[in-house]
Amino acid sequence: MNYINNAAIIKRQVMVRLAKLIFDDTLKDNIDLIPVLMTPKNSESVRCCIHHDRAVLKSRVKVLLGFTAASDTQADEVKLLKEYAGDAEQQGEDRFDDRILTVIDDACSACIRAKYQVTNACRGCVARPCIMNCPKKAIRFERGHAIIDENLCVSCGICEKVCPYHAIVYQPIPCEEACPVNAISKDEFGKEKIDPQKCVYCGKCMLACPFGAIMERSEMFDILRDIKNRDKMTVAMVAPSIAGQFNTDFGKIVSALKKLGFDKVVEVAYGADITAQKETEEFIERLGHKQTLMTSSCCPAYVQIIKKHIPSMRSYVSDTYSPMIYTGEWVSNQWPGAARVFIGPCVAKRFEARESAYVDNVMTYEELGSILIAAGVDVVECDDQEPDKSASIIGRGFAVSGGVSNAVLASAASRGVNAVGKPINGINNKTVSLLKVLDKTIKEPAFIEVMTCEGGCLNGPGVTSSPVVAKKFLDKMLK
Amino acid sequence: MSKKFKVSICSGTTCYVLGGAQMMLLEDCLPVDIKDDVEVVGSSCLQKCHEPNAKPPFVQINDYVMESASLTKVIDYIREHR
Ligand code: FES
Repeated sequence: MNYINNAAIIKRQVMVRLAKLIFDDTLKDNIDLIPVLMTPKNSESVRCCIHHDRAVLKSRVKVLLGFTAASDTQADEVKLLKEYAGDAEQQGEDRFDDRILTVIDDACSACIRAKYQVTNACRGCVARPCIMNCPKKAIRFERGHAIIDENLCVSCGICEKVCPYHAIVYQPIPCEEACPVNAISKDEFGKEKIDPQKCVYCGKCMLACPFGAIMERSEMFDILRDIKNRDKMTVAMVAPSIAGQFNTDFGKIVSALKKLGFDKVVEVAYGADITAQKETEEFIERLGHKQTLMTSSCCPAYVQIIKKHIPSMRSYVSDTYSPMIYTGEWVSNQWPGAARVFIGPCVAKRFEARESAYVDNVMTYEELGSILIAAGVDVVECDDQEPDKSASIIGRGFAVSGGVSNAVLASAASRGVNAVGKPINGINNKTVSLLKVLDKTIKEPAFIEVMTCEGGCLNGPGVTSSPVVAKKFLDKMLK
Repeated sequence: MSKKFKVSICSGTTCYVLGGAQMMLLEDCLPVDIKDDVEVVGSSCLQKCHEPNAKPPFVQINDYVMESASLTKVIDYIREHR
C-alpha cells in the first residue's frame, strides 16, 4: 500500500521549488540554492549533518532534471546544478534511456547485508543451537551474546527457527524485499544497484525505501518548457485514476490543468473504452483459434515482467494497445504537432511512452500536484470544465483492479461468449510464480487481467492521495 | 448540540499534496474515547500555506491551527485538551 511518509513529502517539496524556479525563469540563477534553502544553517538535520542532507537534496534535484543520480567522474561530482539544467536543455530527449529508476548513493543507507539479526532478547544460553546449526559458521559469541557476521551469513534462517527465545529476527532489506523480480541488489560497497536488464519499472523499490534513496527520473523540466511556450500546443492526457488525487471533482482538475498552461485536456478513459472493445474482439478471435488463455496488456510493468522474466507466457498477452496509446493516437490525429503529456500514477508508463510514437512525456500525479502548488493554482477553487474528450463509465473503471476484466468479460458475454477470469491483483514473488505456470493451470476459456500494483492504478507509485480515499472518489465517479 | 472540537481539514492543493490527503481518513479512525466530541469538516485553503516557511498540511482545531499535521498529532492534541 502506498502510505504517506516523510521521504515522499521531502521529494514533493523539492519538486515544488524546482517548478517554481522554472515558472519564474530563474532556474539558472537559483537552482543551486535549493539544497541550502531547504536545510538552512543551524537547522535540524535528518541525516548525520546538514551537509549530508544537502548532498542528497542536490542529487534529488539532478534526478528531477531527468538525469540518473550517478556521478561517475570527479567532474560530475563538482558539477553545479545549473550546469545540469543547461545539459537538460541541450540534450532534451537524448538524456533519457532505459534506466527509468535511479539510486541516490548518498541517500542509500546500505542496509546490513544479513537479513537476520540477534536482538537483545538473546540470553546467551548454554545450548546455543544458533551456533551449532549455522551451516556457514557465521555466528560467534561476544560478551554473552550471539552475533551474526554479516559477511558470512547467507540468510538461510536456520538460527531464527532454532532459537528457543525467539531472539533472532528476520529483518529484510526493504527495496530488495519489495522487488518482485530480484532486479535490485548490493554492489561491493553495500549500496543498492538496479539492473536495467531485469528492472520492470514497477516502482515498488522506490516506495519501499525508508530513506527515499530511489527515485524515478522526472520529465517535468521538458513538460514545463512546453507548457510555458505559448506557440506550442500541449495536450494533457489524464488517466482514470486521477479520481481522488485532489479531493475534488474531475471538472475542476480540467480547469486547473488549463490554468497551468495545457491547451487541451483529454480523458485517457476514452482510450480505455477502445482497449476494452478491441481486447474483447481479440479474445473472441483467439478462442476461435482454439486458444483458451489471454491476459490483459494495459499494465506496462506486467508486460515487462513477461518480456524479461517469463518469455514462455509471451504469446498469451493481448496484442491490444493500452488506453494511453489509443488516446495518444487520437490526440495525434486531432492536433498534429502538439506535445502529448500522459498524466498518471505510473513509473512504467515512462518506458511505454518512450517506445511509442504517440506520447511525448509522462508525469505522475505527485509531480502534477507539486507543479500546481508552484504555480499557485488551487484545484478546489477552480471552476468546473468539461474535458475536450470524455469517456464512458467502463473506461473510467480501468483504474481499479478488476475493471479491465469486468469490461472484457461482460462484453464477451453479451456476444454469447462465456469465459472466466480471476484478476491477478498485484505482482509479488507469489504471483510471479503463479504466472509462470498459468498456461498449464487454466483449462477453460479465460481472460486474466494482471495489475502490478495491488488494487490497481489507484495504488500506483506516483499517487498523491491515500488509495482508500481515492477509491471513495472513484466510486462516486462511476455512479 | 455542537461538539466540543471542530476539526477543519484543509484540502487546498498545497496541503492535500504535501501530506494532507491522509487526513481525510481522520473521521474513520477517531478512537472511541474521543469520537463523540469531535466534528470533522473539510475546508478550502486556510491561507496559512502562503506564509513564509509554512509547514503544510494544516488542520484547524477550534481556534488552534496545527502545522505539519498528521492523524496521530490531531488525535493526541484532542486527548490532551479534553
Ligand atoms: S492549502 Fe492549506 S493552507 Fe493553503
